[in-house]
Amino acid sequence: MAVFAKEWRGEFRTRYALNTLGLFAFTTLVVVSVSLGPLGVSLAQGTAVLPVLLWIILLFSAAAGLPRAFVHEEETQTATALRLAATPSALFCGKLLYGLTLTFALELLVTPVYVAMTSLTVKSPGLLAGVLAAGGFGLAAGSTLVAAIIAQARAKGTLFSVLAFPVLLPLLLIAVELTRGAVAGDAADVALLQLLLYDASVTVAGFMLFPVVWNP
Amino acid sequence: MLAPRTTLPGGAVLRRNGYIPHVLTTTTALRFENVRRRFGRLSVLRGVSGAVGPGEMLLVTGPNGSGKSTLLRCLSGLMAPDGGTIEYSEDGESLDAGGRRRRAGVVSPDLAFYGELTVGENLEFFARLRRTPPDRGLAVLDRLELPLDRMASALSSGMRQRLRWGWALLHQPRLLLLDEPFQNFDAPGERIARELLAEHLAAGGSAVVANPSTLEFGDVAGRLDLGR
Amino acid sequence: MRKLLAWLLWLWLSAVIVGAFLYAPLAKGFIGQSSRILFFHVPMAWVSFVAFIAAGVWSLLFLRGRDPKHDRAAAVAVELGVLFGVLATVTGALWARVMWGAYWNWDPRQTSIVVALLFYGAYLALRSSLEDRDQRARLSAAYAVLGLVVAPFLFFIMPRIMFSLHPQSVINAQGKVEMESRMVQVLLGGSAGCTALFFWIHNLRCRVQALAERKSALYE
Repeated sequence: MAVFAKEWRGEFRTRYALNTLGLFAFTTLVVVSVSLGPLGVSLAQGTAVLPVLLWIILLFSAAAGLPRAFVHEEETQTATALRLAATPSALFCGKLLYGLTLTFALELLVTPVYVAMTSLTVKSPGLLAGVLAAGGFGLAAGSTLVAAIIAQARAKGTLFSVLAFPVLLPLLLIAVELTRGAVAGDAADVALLQLLLYDASVTVAGFMLFPVVWNP
Repeated sequence: MLAPRTTLPGGAVLRRNGYIPHVLTTTTALRFENVRRRFGRLSVLRGVSGAVGPGEMLLVTGPNGSGKSTLLRCLSGLMAPDGGTIEYSEDGESLDAGGRRRRAGVVSPDLAFYGELTVGENLEFFARLRRTPPDRGLAVLDRLELPLDRMASALSSGMRQRLRWGWALLHQPRLLLLDEPFQNFDAPGERIARELLAEHLAAGGSAVVANPSTLEFGDVAGRLDLGR
Repeated sequence: MRKLLAWLLWLWLSAVIVGAFLYAPLAKGFIGQSSRILFFHVPMAWVSFVAFIAAGVWSLLFLRGRDPKHDRAAAVAVELGVLFGVLATVTGALWARVMWGAYWNWDPRQTSIVVALLFYGAYLALRSSLEDRDQRARLSAAYAVLGLVVAPFLFFIMPRIMFSLHPQSVINAQGKVEMESRMVQVLLGGSAGCTALFFWIHNLRCRVQALAERKSALYE
């Protein structure tokens, strides 16, 4: 998709999103690992708490980096050109793909380091990979649509978190539970299906609602 | 009242009723009636009407703040009016706001492009978005003398205006909606743009042009003054 | 006609209130008179969810027909949802304190109400940050529909998560305790009455807002 390629080309030139995301993720990661790593808490406490924090790190990193996809367009006024030239579904698809790749890159970066730094033993790495994939997808899809909604409003930074959190909450709850399961060594669960169903619903809703949000 | 006959290079004759010897087959018709638009308490457009057909140009004049840009935005589909109708058809096929957005060529002061890409990359990107083969618009780009390898953020304001024109003409639109189209131009730039506009009209296209001051225009099919 | 309906509504609600204190018996396993609060808490929580769905439906209608009436209806529904939701939370917390000794337990119902309130808050925050009327209507309607899409997942995953984490909260008295028919009557009556009250206030508020908009439009 043209939009997707354009996003990444621009990104490589400025490296804005990658820097912001990466820096944020890393800082929180260090804080968490130091305070809750093997020196900080017992093993039992760790396995209960650490999955939650992983997703918190992912959530807030995404909130720092993903909204830019639309907010930047509005701020630099390139949105007008896009509104005239692009079909909404193509645009949403491109932005969604961009968000997905960004989120997956973030996860790939954060998770191994997190696991290593906190000495967390994951007994079902396959399940963990599945959760990260499905959860990351939902995170990107929901964030992209909410980003489109708030891009046209004032106070965009805080508004994004306020709007995105209730929408992403079901995703986070399931993902955390599944991650806990992955750490404990459970096999795949029906909850994974629910997660995928969530992803599908939010993506479909995104494609259907985006034209309304984007065009007057 | 017949407009004076103008002979363009190549022997084409521009007449008011739009009869052109060599022309593309698409005919366009834009008509808007009683268009109203408010911003909060401020009523910017209060029932504006007009029409423009193939080969015709509608000149919209009025002081600053009289709603010229607002009207053009409504016509291009970027803004929805509060009331009134806007009808646009190409070849008898009626298009809605989305269709107008895609088909019209728009030049506007608030059009911006991606600073982190080059001029060529910008145009190529938008050509791909519009699904036009990029080479179609290349002749126009040559005329405008756009430096394809320069970063869009490094353009002077005159060059940026040329880029806007290039962008607008890339997909060979039948309808041009021009808001202050000669802003920031130097003399050669303005000459090129006027030529492009005249050729567009000669080929049967329509144009709506908004200007704060009544610059000299040749054949103007209609005038719309939004002054208070 | 309106007057008649109004009287009917007040009569019904008065009957429910009286019935809650005098007609229905006390529930088993409750401390003292505390079960009485059920007759207020449950209807209010119920209405809060009705408001959620109503806002979503009206938003869908708006997106279909772009009728400003529907946008107004959705916004008012959310406002009322906040009102009823807060009341439900407060009554629920008071009851929880009496029953289980703590104001908050992350019991599935409590959590659902909180999430609904989060959605409402987000919706209202979005609306207040947009000035253009069409934009505001469009974007908040889109968000409401998104909320409608996402909300069912909360109801499905809630029990699973809660049961796995806090087994003691499973004992949600409403579901488990057998209720005598009189209690059921008052409960259902209360719910119906509260729903009617919701739509009544909703209708009034919509009309007031429509008039306010017309008045400000006159000052052009």
